[in-house]
Amino acid sequence: MPVDLISANHAAALAATLAGRANRTARGFCSGVYPITPSTECMEYLCGQQIEKGKVVRADSEHNAMGICIGASASGARSFTTTCSNGLAYMVENCVAAAGYRLPIVMSVANRTMGPPWNIWTDHGDSLLMRDLGWLQLYSADNQEVFDTVLCAFKLAEDPRVMMPALTCMDGFILSHTTAQVEIPSQEQVDRFLPPTKIPHRLDKVAHTLGQIETPHQSVAHRLQHHQAMLQARQVYAEIQDSFAEIFGRRPADPLVGYRTEDAETLIVSMGTLGVTAERVVDQLREQGQAVGSVRVRMFRPMPDEELRRFFSGTKRIAVLDRDVSIGFGGVLWGEVRGFAEPATIVQNYMVGVAGGDVRPEHMLNLLAELEQRQESGAPQIVEVV
Amino acid sequence: MTNEPALNGMALTERDRSEPLLRAGNSNCGGCGMSSLLQMLRRAAADRELKLVVPACCAAVTGGIFPESAFSIPTIMSTFASAASVATGVASVAQLNGEPTRVICLAGDGGTYDIGMGTLSAAAERNEDILYICYDNEIYGNTGGQRSSATPAGAWTTSTPLGKQKTKKDILGIMAAHRIPYAASVSLAHIDDTLRKLQFALDARGFRFLHVLSPCPTGWKSEPAMGIELVRLAVRSGLFPVFEVFDGERYLINVEPEFSGEALMMYLSLQRRFRDSGVTEENLRPNIERYWNYLRLMSGRIVPARRDI
Amino acid sequence: MGQIMSILATASEPDAADLPDDISFPLEIRLHGRGGQGGVTCAKLIAAIYAQLGLNVQTFGDYGAERSGAPVRAFTRVNRVPIKNRNKVYHPDHLLVLDAALLGPQLLDGVAAGAVILINSPEGTTQYATTFADYRFGIIDATGIAREQGIGTSTVVIINTTLVGAYARLLDLPFAVLEKVYTRMGLSDDLAAAEEAYQKVQIRQPVNGMTEVPVGGELAISLPTVKPQTEHAEDIPTQLKTGNWSTQLPGYEDYVAPCNSACPAGNDVVGFIQALKKSGNDAAAEILLRTQALPSVCGRVCPAPCMSECNRRQMDGAINIRSLERWISDHAAFHPQAQEADQPYALAVVGGGPAGLSAAYQLALRGHQVTIFEKEEKLGGVLRYGIPVYRLPEDALQRDLERILSLGIELQNNHPVDTLEMERLNEKFDAVIVSKGFSDAYTLAAAGESLSGIEQGLSFLARSREGEAKVKLSGDLVVIGGGNTAIDCARTALRSGASSVKLVYRRSRAEMPAIAEEIEDAIREGVQLLPLRQPVAFRGVGQVAGIVLAEVELGKADADGRRRPLVTERTTELACSRVLLALGQENELDLLPETWQVRDAQAWSGDEPLNIWFAGDCATADGTVTHAIGNGRRAAMAALASLNGTKPAAAQLQQAALVAPAQIRFSHFPILAPHQDRHKPLEEVRKSFEEVNLGLSGTAEAERCFSCGRCTQCDTCLVYCPDGVISRCDDGYRIDEEYCKGCGICVAECPRRAMDLNDKASGKE
Repeated sequence: MPVDLISANHAAALAATLAGRANRTARGFCSGVYPITPSTECMEYLCGQQIEKGKVVRADSEHNAMGICIGASASGARSFTTTCSNGLAYMVENCVAAAGYRLPIVMSVANRTMGPPWNIWTDHGDSLLMRDLGWLQLYSADNQEVFDTVLCAFKLAEDPRVMMPALTCMDGFILSHTTAQVEIPSQEQVDRFLPPTKIPHRLDKVAHTLGQIETPHQSVAHRLQHHQAMLQARQVYAEIQDSFAEIFGRRPADPLVGYRTEDAETLIVSMGTLGVTAERVVDQLREQGQAVGSVRVRMFRPMPDEELRRFFSGTKRIAVLDRDVSIGFGGVLWGEVRGFAEPATIVQNYMVGVAGGDVRPEHMLNLLAELEQRQESGAPQIVEVV
Repeated sequence: MTNEPALNGMALTERDRSEPLLRAGNSNCGGCGMSSLLQMLRRAAADRELKLVVPACCAAVTGGIFPESAFSIPTIMSTFASAASVATGVASVAQLNGEPTRVICLAGDGGTYDIGMGTLSAAAERNEDILYICYDNEIYGNTGGQRSSATPAGAWTTSTPLGKQKTKKDILGIMAAHRIPYAASVSLAHIDDTLRKLQFALDARGFRFLHVLSPCPTGWKSEPAMGIELVRLAVRSGLFPVFEVFDGERYLINVEPEFSGEALMMYLSLQRRFRDSGVTEENLRPNIERYWNYLRLMSGRIVPARRDI
Repeated sequence: MGQIMSILATASEPDAADLPDDISFPLEIRLHGRGGQGGVTCAKLIAAIYAQLGLNVQTFGDYGAERSGAPVRAFTRVNRVPIKNRNKVYHPDHLLVLDAALLGPQLLDGVAAGAVILINSPEGTTQYATTFADYRFGIIDATGIAREQGIGTSTVVIINTTLVGAYARLLDLPFAVLEKVYTRMGLSDDLAAAEEAYQKVQIRQPVNGMTEVPVGGELAISLPTVKPQTEHAEDIPTQLKTGNWSTQLPGYEDYVAPCNSACPAGNDVVGFIQALKKSGNDAAAEILLRTQALPSVCGRVCPAPCMSECNRRQMDGAINIRSLERWISDHAAFHPQAQEADQPYALAVVGGGPAGLSAAYQLALRGHQVTIFEKEEKLGGVLRYGIPVYRLPEDALQRDLERILSLGIELQNNHPVDTLEMERLNEKFDAVIVSKGFSDAYTLAAAGESLSGIEQGLSFLARSREGEAKVKLSGDLVVIGGGNTAIDCARTALRSGASSVKLVYRRSRAEMPAIAEEIEDAIREGVQLLPLRQPVAFRGVGQVAGIVLAEVELGKADADGRRRPLVTERTTELACSRVLLALGQENELDLLPETWQVRDAQAWSGDEPLNIWFAGDCATADGTVTHAIGNGRRAAMAALASLNGTKPAAAQLQQAALVAPAQIRFSHFPILAPHQDRHKPLEEVRKSFEEVNLGLSGTAEAERCFSCGRCTQCDTCLVYCPDGVISRCDDGYRIDEEYCKGCGICVAECPRRAMDLNDKASGKE
């Protein structure tokens, strides 16, 4: 498979382009895009592509970029967009709508701190805004993973058992603007992996209405169905991994990426590129004879609860590294995962690298040293790094 | 010589669309202008393939409760500000697939003049292949009657208890400034003109905008039966100019008002929303004249053709 | 307010003690109404009343996506202690129904026996006695009261404040409580309506022996399955039966056009013009000839009061109805056929003028044996001997006469009828119609009237009709009078060679009874008008040589609305060689035996009515051909009805049924000037007896008819119905009552008042 040297932003855009072209025999590809640092390169790249039966609409706002994706997807097209930070916040209303319509739109987010005060550097607080809105959420840690994840996200979102939008996240700048090798499959391979988009409830010839008024009972039923479909995405993802491996000859990463966890007494739990740094730290500590492992949460929605429980089983200490702050509470990831740990496990939350701080292995080593001293879980800590 | 039967008798014939766009059994108020508009749109659309985008507004409620549909065409209810962008997606995919579908946005004045203005402006600037129809009842009707930037000066609303002070936005001026292929105001009291414009706008390509004064008995505090007559009075008095703009340049006045004070007075007195604000025929007159001077300038029409309507 | 104040004066400060003894707490109240009626405010008003009595309250609406007219609910809860309930009300102690059309089994869900129910309905309590036997209930026509008081619009009446008046009475609360609450809520304008309801509400106590208590509010065990959005792609039309939202329903009704109402002949003017427009000459003739025996005549000489009343006069000129009638009679090939009568009678008609001809025609059409007794050689009466040929040519008259006679009427000409003959006819025939016309012409009683050269206009016209050769005139001629005969005399005189013709009339031109167009034509031909002149004497020796005219001033209006002429002392003398008098005719019924009298146009012998009926000028003195035709027809119908022992159909016109100009939507009709009659060039006609007026050149004028009060199937209602619930059917349009919201736009937009909005409750307004 040819290898190209491209940024993660471009990898996401390229994956979307291939996915878009793959739908040329069906209803095509249509996307609404709007620039925002650091996701801009992704939309720029997309705007430069020739996509057969495809159109990229340069919208006037993120809100309307998603509006255009909604219209396109509701018409049966494959649809993709990209944004982050305040752009995502501005888009949220239509993200709610996209999920409510159950449309399989894929969005790439180069995570960035919310402002003002303005800060362009990475923080997961933007995509975590979308935690409860009915979107699948996948976080990547390197360029290849970004590429693969976007392709998988289309397949996952469009699976009839799932049928809902998906968010694929990468750390802004740290990953989005990093150039590295990416294996690029052929269009023919992508065509095989992604069959034509089929949206059964799309606007076709028959009169019916999307997004109309419901009674409380109907909305409850639809929430329940959406929830169950999201839970099913875990199983569907496993099937997608197999199919991906068969076609592309490599297996996309699991929902939870465990690293040297077999006999680990201490686990580092994180999302995004923090997880890669964590693996370096694990290696270092293992050399020193410490039983440390890492679990990188790739799939945040649906939350892979069973696997988490398995990873957490028998662990003495867990350091949950959050690149976000839920002000007045602590780390969002910590809040989500701590319940899966056993009662005796010390689960300590460190919010580190928040708002773009560069988290080096030394930072993590310090935190783990602090954790080793602990006899019980303490209050979540915001760790200042430069 | 004679205008009977109305619309040359085409209603409910094979020249009409076989099914109404807005079905009986919808939940609109009796005498709703948007309902009247949709009946006319049915006749204009005939057998054209249509898709409808409706932002949050009365029409989104009228559409019916899941899974029933009061509209007889595929419809998507968009968020309040997004009609023109969702329609962009729908129209783009139709175009990519070579489909004859005409995509229609049906939005109220709130979703057009206010919250949806940016979206509308962007879609117009991109010249998307959309027919955008604003049914303007000059009020946030769906939320119980608050002022919008389409509310005319002197009108009482629940958020302007003393009557609104500012005049309404010149929406057609705004749209014409986008140099879109077609922008027009539509008087529901002039059905032949309405039908012609709807047909033209359905068939034209690119962004088309229609502004429809839509009587709202509930919000205007008027007799439901008087809705069409109110539009007629608004036209006769010059308050609601009926004209069209091609490519943002060529202005064509379609109905020459008589500028009658009697019509203006009737228009005000038939609506209780104007009752307590002190608005009178006299204080509306200068604005009407100013706007018509502008229209005459733009249309190059110096001497009005005298025609009673 | 005076009444309210008096109630206030006797009331002490109200508190919970004012409540009925049997009221128990917590008290739960449920309201059922329609969007726009003010149901939520009603619940709030009720809460305010209890709050005023010092109790804890909560009140809220059951909010949904409802629109004006859709069913809505509201709730009020009352307790002595703070309320800790946030649910809707499932077991109401009091139930208020704001619209009786909402009544149904679901409404009583959870309402136990002994509960209090208040219904807004125009019906009495007996209507609901069985349904609500187990409840204490009240009935009030709150809609009627609120509409009367102008609360809301007539379609969406806001009844909350009115209904609460009745509710207060149902609980025997002093009215003063309402006064306070309404004032505080800024609703004091509605107190009068509340008080009326307080006074008028009918209350019925529960009958013991409750059968079955409807239970309600149970938790639904199995909810219906909801399809996932991702599987929903099928078309399921809305099912909302919006027809029960409204209290009014439009309908198609015929109203009377002013032309029809004004036509003395009783012609269906709208009918024949619309038929002409839609289906052509024969269809129009078929309708016209039902009432009109002499369309060729009337189409030429009728003064056309229909045109004076035509609603289109208010816009761009009356429809040229007279000439349309003429067009039909001149161009239609249709000939009516006599029907077979169940019981044929033999009838005599005395006098072959317009009234007699009309009566004979109507009778013969219905299959009866008719004999006309005419004193002259030829039929026609005044038509033949009083109207000049240039206005009514022989062939036009002949066409009408032949059509009438072709129905099998026997003509006895040169057959004058005197008293003896009258008695004989009464014996011989089942009934007799007497239509002998006017008798002698009036004279002026001025000095010198017996001079030679002074002649009655009518005899001049009769001589002229015999053939112009018989009448050759020269010199200056004066006609005295202002009616059609005067004009006819003047114009005939011109044609017979008079070198000048002057017409002297004692009032102003505007008051001349002659047809306006005829006056214009006369002036155009050279007749000189001398209005406001009264002849006081004729001068001359043997032969008249001049006439003394006194100037006239107009005084106060007479009973007939015309100003009374006051003759002054100022006189002038006018030289002339010939004078024609056209002052009208006397009306003498000199052919009845002395023992008979005439009452209500019928002959009586003492107290015994005879089958002798009078018609035309001799009965009414209306003096126009058209009146005579109408009167002749009605006399014929009266005679037939009397013979059959039935009553003639009463033609009572209610003013409300007449279409007024304000009920025509002028904007619907393009402006179009009336089509004028064509005339022969002046120089050709002045000296000729050929017909001057050539009539219309086509039927386009029929297109101008508004068709007041009668549906033309113009599709306006159909096109404007906002809900698309009007469709075509065989005889017009059908309104789908199941869905019609009763907005009334169809009625308001109908260009011609062929529709009306009726109250559903009372059937028709």
